[in-house]
Amino acid sequence: MIFRQIGGLLIILGFTMVVPLLVSLIYSEFYSAAGFLFSGLTCFLIGFLFYKNIKTTTEPLNRHALIIAALGWLSIAVMGALPFIIIAYITPAEVAQQFVPALADYQSSIFYFKNPLHAIFESMSGFTTTGLSMAVHVPTIGKGLIFYRSFTQLLGGAGFIVLTLAVLGQASGKIAYMLYGAESTGERLRPTIIQTTRSIWKIYIGITLFSFAYLVIGTYLILPEYNIAENIFDSINHAMAGQSTGGFSTLESSIASYNSKAMDMLYLLPMILGALSLPFYFKVLNDKQIFQFWKNLQTRSIILLSVFGSIILSFMLLKSGLVSEPFRKGIFQFVSALTTTGWQTSDIHIWGSSSVLFIVVVGMIVGGAAGATVGGVKIIRVLLLFKGLFWHINGYFYSDNSIKVVEFNEKRMLPDEMNRELAKVATFVFIYLIILLVGTLITYYNMIPVFSLKDALFESASALGTVGLSCGITNPNMSPVLEITYIVQMWAGRLEIIPILILFRTILFGSKPKVV
Amino acid sequence: MKIIIAGDGEVGFYLAKLLEKEFQDITLIDKQRDKIASVENKLGIATVLGDSTSYKVLTGAGVQKADLLIAVTSAESTNITTCLIGKKLGAKFTIARINNMEYLVDKSTLDLRDLGIDELVSPESLAAREVKYLLKSPALTEVFNLYKQDLYMMGVRVEDDAPIINKSIAESAHLLTNSSFMIVAVLRNEKTLIPTGDLQILKGDLLYFATTDSGKDKVLEYAEKKPIHIKNVLVIGGSKTGKYIALRLSKLYNIKLIEKNLEKCNHLARHIPNVHFVCGDGADVGLLEEEKISDYDAVIAVTGSAETNIFSCLLAKDHGVKKTIAMVENIGLFDYSQKMGVDTLINKKMAAANFVFRHILKGRVLAQLYGINAEIQEFVVHKNSKIINIPIKELNFPEGAIISGVIRKGKGYITLGSFELKPDDRVFVFSMPQSTKEVVAFFK
Repeated sequence: MIFRQIGGLLIILGFTMVVPLLVSLIYSEFYSAAGFLFSGLTCFLIGFLFYKNIKTTTEPLNRHALIIAALGWLSIAVMGALPFIIIAYITPAEVAQQFVPALADYQSSIFYFKNPLHAIFESMSGFTTTGLSMAVHVPTIGKGLIFYRSFTQLLGGAGFIVLTLAVLGQASGKIAYMLYGAESTGERLRPTIIQTTRSIWKIYIGITLFSFAYLVIGTYLILPEYNIAENIFDSINHAMAGQSTGGFSTLESSIASYNSKAMDMLYLLPMILGALSLPFYFKVLNDKQIFQFWKNLQTRSIILLSVFGSIILSFMLLKSGLVSEPFRKGIFQFVSALTTTGWQTSDIHIWGSSSVLFIVVVGMIVGGAAGATVGGVKIIRVLLLFKGLFWHINGYFYSDNSIKVVEFNEKRMLPDEMNRELAKVATFVFIYLIILLVGTLITYYNMIPVFSLKDALFESASALGTVGLSCGITNPNMSPVLEITYIVQMWAGRLEIIPILILFRTILFGSKPKVV
Repeated sequence: MKIIIAGDGEVGFYLAKLLEKEFQDITLIDKQRDKIASVENKLGIATVLGDSTSYKVLTGAGVQKADLLIAVTSAESTNITTCLIGKKLGAKFTIARINNMEYLVDKSTLDLRDLGIDELVSPESLAAREVKYLLKSPALTEVFNLYKQDLYMMGVRVEDDAPIINKSIAESAHLLTNSSFMIVAVLRNEKTLIPTGDLQILKGDLLYFATTDSGKDKVLEYAEKKPIHIKNVLVIGGSKTGKYIALRLSKLYNIKLIEKNLEKCNHLARHIPNVHFVCGDGADVGLLEEEKISDYDAVIAVTGSAETNIFSCLLAKDHGVKKTIAMVENIGLFDYSQKMGVDTLINKKMAAANFVFRHILKGRVLAQLYGINAEIQEFVVHKNSKIINIPIKELNFPEGAIISGVIRKGKGYITLGSFELKPDDRVFVFSMPQSTKEVVAFFK
C-alpha cells in the first residue's frame, strides 16, 4: 500500500519533467532536453509499475501515511536527482563550455553532478525548498537545469503529496486525510481533502504568478537596461523560488548579482508572501477580509518579527563593524532567514558570532508560518511555548479551584487541551534542537579549519530549517559524511521530523507496538 | 380569548395560573399524564395529553380558534415546531420560548417572525437582563423596564435616616417637583398602599417609583440612598441564567463564576471570554471564603436550588457584600428571603410571564411585580374620550389605582397632578386587583 502511493508520486514527478524539457527546447539545449525526457520516462515507468501492480489490501493507518511521507520524499529526491546525473554525463565538454562566460577561468559546474551524492543533495535541497547548492557557478549549468532547480522548489513548496492528491484525486477520504496531515498542517479548507489540496495549489500558483509579474515589472523599473529576456527568465525562476521560500537563484551570486539596493528591497516582498500560511490566504480570499492580515496571529507576528528582527540584526552588524552597508545586509538577510528562503547578499562567514547567533535563533530556528512553505519550528509553535510559559506562571496566582483557561490564536483552551498542545510542541521543538545540535557537531568535526563553531551552527541550522543560506561550508568538496548529514537534515526539516522517526522505528523495530 | 399553552413546566404552569384569573378559555398541553392530572386539580382548566408538535393534539386543543398559542416546553425545537404548526392551523398569535440567543439577535439569517412565530421569549435571558438593570443601579430593590430606555418602575427601600421619613408625601412634595419621577405604591408589612397626599412614609417602607431615565438618580437622592459602585461581581451557579449573566455582563464588570459541575464549568470556560471560572459548590462556606467573597461588590446566586441561592446571598451579606441577588423560583419563599436580608430576588418564570403579558394585545395587564400585590396595566386614550385635556388631579380617578406614566409619540412622561392626557397616549396604570374593573371602565 505504501509503495502504491509512492508509485503515484513518481508518476506525477515523471510528468512534471515535461516542463523543464520544454524550457530546454526553447533555449536549444538538446542534451538537457534528452536528459529530462529520459529521466521523466524512467520515473513514470517505475511509478506506473508500483502503482498498477500493488493492490491496496490493508486498511490504512496513520503511521502508514507518515511512512509514505518520509519514504515518498526520499524517493522523490533520489529520482529527482536523475536529470542532474544524466545531463552531467551526456553533455559534451565543449557544449557545457558555452555556458561559461568567455573570460572565466573555471569549468562548467554541470560536471559536479557526475557524483550522484551531489545530484541527490541538489535535488533534496530543491524539493525541500532549502536552496543550498552544489552548483558553484549557477549560470554554467544551462538554462534547462537552472529552471528545473527552481521548478523542484515550486513543486516541493506546497507539498508533493498535496500535489499528487490534487492531480490524481484517487485516494479515498481516510487515506487522503492522513496523507494530507502527514505532509502539511492538516487544516481542512474545503469539505473534501481533494478539493482542499486543489484549492491550496490554485492559491499557491496564483501568488507565484503575482510574484512573477511583480518581479518583472519591478526589475524593469529599477534596471531598465537589463536584458528583457533575462529579466523574464530571472523573474519566473525567482518567483517560484521565492514563493516556495526555496531560495535558488539564476545568478552567479544570488540577488547580490544585481548590485542594486532597490533590487534587494524589491525581493523582500516575495519572501514574506511565501512565509505566510496558505490556508490563511484561502480564508482571506474566500471571505474577502483584508483586515485579516493584521488580525491573524501568525501573519501579524511574522510582519512584526520581520521589522524588529531586521532592525536588531542591522544594529548588531553595525556595532561589529565587520560588514559594509549593515542595514541593507541586515534587513535582507534577516528576512531571508526568517522566511527560510535563503537568498544571500552578504558573506556570512565574516560576520561576528553574536550576529550569527541572533540570525540562527531568531530567524532560522523560528521560521515562518505553519501552513506555509517554510522550514524552522514555525512561528506559531514558538508563540505557543511563550504563551504556555506565561500561562504556567499566571497559574500560581489563581485559586485552587479556578479553571485556568488560556486563549491562543483565537481559540480558548482548557488546561488539559493546552497541556496536550504544549507537550506536542515542546517535544517537537526539543527534538528539533537536538538534531540541530547533532548536525552542528558533525559539521564541526568534518569541516575545514577555516571555519569556526558559529559557522558550523549556522550551516546546520540552515539545512535543518530548509533555509539555504550558507557561510561557505557547503561546496562540492565537502566531506561526504557532512553531505549526507545535510541531506537527512533537509529531509527531516521539511517533514517536521516525526515521519522520519516513524520510518526509522519501523525499519529498526518493525510495526509491533512496544509493550511494557 | 382562547389561549393554548404547550408545556406544563414551571413557566407554563405559572402562566396558566395567572391567565386563568383573567381569561376564561385556557387549554394546556403536556406529554406527561400525571402533570396534566395535577393541573386539572389545581387550576381546573382544560388540558390535552400529547405531544404539542402533533397536528392531532393541536387540533384537539382547538388551535383553529385560538387567539394565542404559547409554547414553553423546555425543548426549544419543540416550541418552534409547535408554533409553526399552530400558526398554519389557525392560531392568531404565537409565542415560543427559546434558548439559543442567535434566534433573537441575528435576524439577518432567519427571522422567525417571517415563518409565523410572532414573539420569542427566553426566560433566562430576561432574568439576565434584569440583573443587568439591577447592577446598573444597585441601590434599588427592583427594576422593571416599562418602555424602552425611557420609563422604569423601580422599588427602593428607604434608608432609616432619610429626611422624608415620618412625613406625608405632600410634605415632601417640594422634592418631587422636577417631574422626572413619582411614587406609585408603598409596600408596608406585606400590604400594598396606593399613595394619596397624606400618606406618611415610615421606616422600612419599600417605595415604588415610576421614573424616566434621568429621574433614576433623583429617586435615590429622595430615598437618601448612597450610590453604590459595582466593579467585582461573583456569580454562583452556571445555569443557563448564569451563562447569560456572564455573557451580558463580562464587558461591564469583573466577573467570577462558581459552578459545581466540572464538565459544565469547562464548557462555559471554553466559550465565555473575560470571565474567571471556578469549579466548586456555591454553598460551601470554605470555598466562598477561599474565593474571597468579601472582595466582591455584588453576589448573584442563580443555581437551580433556591435554598442554596438564599444561603449564599446571606453569607455574602454577612461578609459585607453590598448587593445580593438571589434567583428564587419558589414564590412562597419570597417574603422570608427578603426579610432575612437578601437584597433582591429574581424569578425567571415571572420575568417570562411579564414578557408574555405585554404581548397579549387586548389583555391590559402589563406586569406583576414580585413582592407586591398590584399590577401594571396599559391603556390607550381614545380620541373622543372625556378624560382628555383635563389635569389628572381633577379627574375622578378610581381609588386604589394611579396613573404612573404616559408614552406620547415614542417618549415617556411622568404624570404628576397637572398633567393632561391627549388622544393616542399610552397610559400606564398601577392598580390593586380590586380596582381593576373600575380602571377598565374609566378608560372606556
